[in-house]
Amino acid sequence: MLTAQAVSVHFAGVRAIEDVSVALAPREILGLVGPNGAGKTTMVNVLSGFQAPHAGGVTLNGTAVTGRSSDWLARHGVVRTFQAVRLFRKLTVSENVEASLVSVGSGRGAARRKAMEILSYLGISHRAHLQGDALNYGDERRVGIARALALNPAFLLLDEPAAGMNVAEAEALADLIRRIRDDFGCGILLIEHNMALITRICERMQVMASGRTIAVGTPAEVFENPVFRSAYLGTGAL
Amino acid sequence: MMRDLILRAAPLLALVALIVAISLLAGMADTVTTRRVILCLVNVVCVVGLYIFMGNSGVLNFSSVGFMAIGAYVAALLTMPAGPKGMFLPDLPVWLAATELPALAGPFLGALFCAIVALAVGLPIMRLSGIAAAIATFSLMFICYIVLGNWTSMTGGQISLMGLKSYVGLWTACAFAVGAVAVAFAYQETRWALALRASREDAVAARASGIRVARLRLGAFVLGAAVCGAGGALYGHFQGTLRVESFYLDPTFLLVTMLVVGGMRSLTGAVVGCLAISLLTEVLRLVEVGIPLPGTGAVVMVAPGFGDVVLAALMLLILLFRPNGITGGREILGNLAGSGHRHDQV
Repeated sequence: MLTAQAVSVHFAGVRAIEDVSVALAPREILGLVGPNGAGKTTMVNVLSGFQAPHAGGVTLNGTAVTGRSSDWLARHGVVRTFQAVRLFRKLTVSENVEASLVSVGSGRGAARRKAMEILSYLGISHRAHLQGDALNYGDERRVGIARALALNPAFLLLDEPAAGMNVAEAEALADLIRRIRDDFGCGILLIEHNMALITRICERMQVMASGRTIAVGTPAEVFENPVFRSAYLGTGAL
Repeated sequence: MMRDLILRAAPLLALVALIVAISLLAGMADTVTTRRVILCLVNVVCVVGLYIFMGNSGVLNFSSVGFMAIGAYVAALLTMPAGPKGMFLPDLPVWLAATELPALAGPFLGALFCAIVALAVGLPIMRLSGIAAAIATFSLMFICYIVLGNWTSMTGGQISLMGLKSYVGLWTACAFAVGAVAVAFAYQETRWALALRASREDAVAARASGIRVARLRLGAFVLGAAVCGAGGALYGHFQGTLRVESFYLDPTFLLVTMLVVGGMRSLTGAVVGCLAISLLTEVLRLVEVGIPLPGTGAVVMVAPGFGDVVLAALMLLILLFRPNGITGGREILGNLAGSGHRHDQV
């Protein structure tokens, strides 16, 4: 279980998140939704060690990991992707994945072979020898996911993986995320604005607004939640 | 398997062939030209040392010349004959004054000492990035210069230290240049270098990939400093005289220019940049001295300092129009390994 308890983060006096808790169970897909500026990415930053909380803490399988570095957490199963993908642009696609593999102890030869397996799994092995900056947007996103899978994540935090995708691409991504959960047995936290995608694959969703949690539950429960309906559909929906 | 290995080693083999070919040609040339080539090969060692850290990590490094100086003085102090040592450095500790190791031990011990120093100073510095890291490495070079220039009992301070054993000939320099290239190539094929290159592209994403950026930078910094230390020892013994002034801004700028012009993202860039700039500086030096035009009595001559201006302008042009350098950041014959893998895939 990956949990954040009563986490608060402030930036120069501005509240980014305030007293927010998140619990991600193994093999669960949890959607984290909310408008821009709600604090979703900040929460992922806290969970993945990129942002130290000013209050509250993070535990991984019951052990406190607050203050652990982002690379330590990545090597110990808490792996994230970025909204902007952030590929290693002058490395090949294969090397992008190998970099993750060698960080957890693989030799170069083993990393090369394993990287090809992961790229094949994601259907982009034919891109393995292209440089990172030669990819189209969809493939970039898949390489970002491949890089994360190379760390054999126990908990995978995906930051808007469907951003910029059309409906068909988003549906394919939804299938892929479910397949990853089933094949890798990891819990997945999914930040996403695409509600169709969220309701299709998430067992639970947590809604944030202005740095606070306003609703948690199954998609059906959340959609019935008056606070959520008010925030998303306007007061007339109440 | 063997074919794959050979294809992977193709850039190394090509660079070694290039260095050996240049040495063979220099062996047939006059003494002055041969000495120029020896100095060029010593510079190859130093630029490759700079590349090991700067090329793989992407962090600007101005400290190489400081490590060259340390390597040069360590090698000199450990290998100089007791006679000149006693004359120039009368205040040395007794054990050091009495030490006279074989000359060839100098570069290796200089490298070892530089590695230890780099490990100690690199621990805090490698946590820095960008301009802060660049300023920190510049400060390191400056500290080396000040300390060596004022530690009169150990280095002679501002006076020249003469009487160094002269053993750095063409084939010694060639062997060390080949050795440095081999070390750098072997390193860049390791998993640590791959992870470090990933951090060069994006340090934040590298951390998200589990990469311990500071630790990997430190490893490359130590290895690069060791290679520069060996280069410095060779430089001192090639000149036969050591002056702390030889290890300050001019060579710092020269080494960085060589790497940037060649292309700092590849070992080929480091070697090619060093060769190209060495050739260019030699031409510029000749023009500064004056080249007589046959049959006219006229002499083509430019003002002193023209060469430095041309080098600076060249670096500026490369940064503006070809930021990846002459080689574009690619390895010579590097595509062979890629095609081999594509073949493996089929």
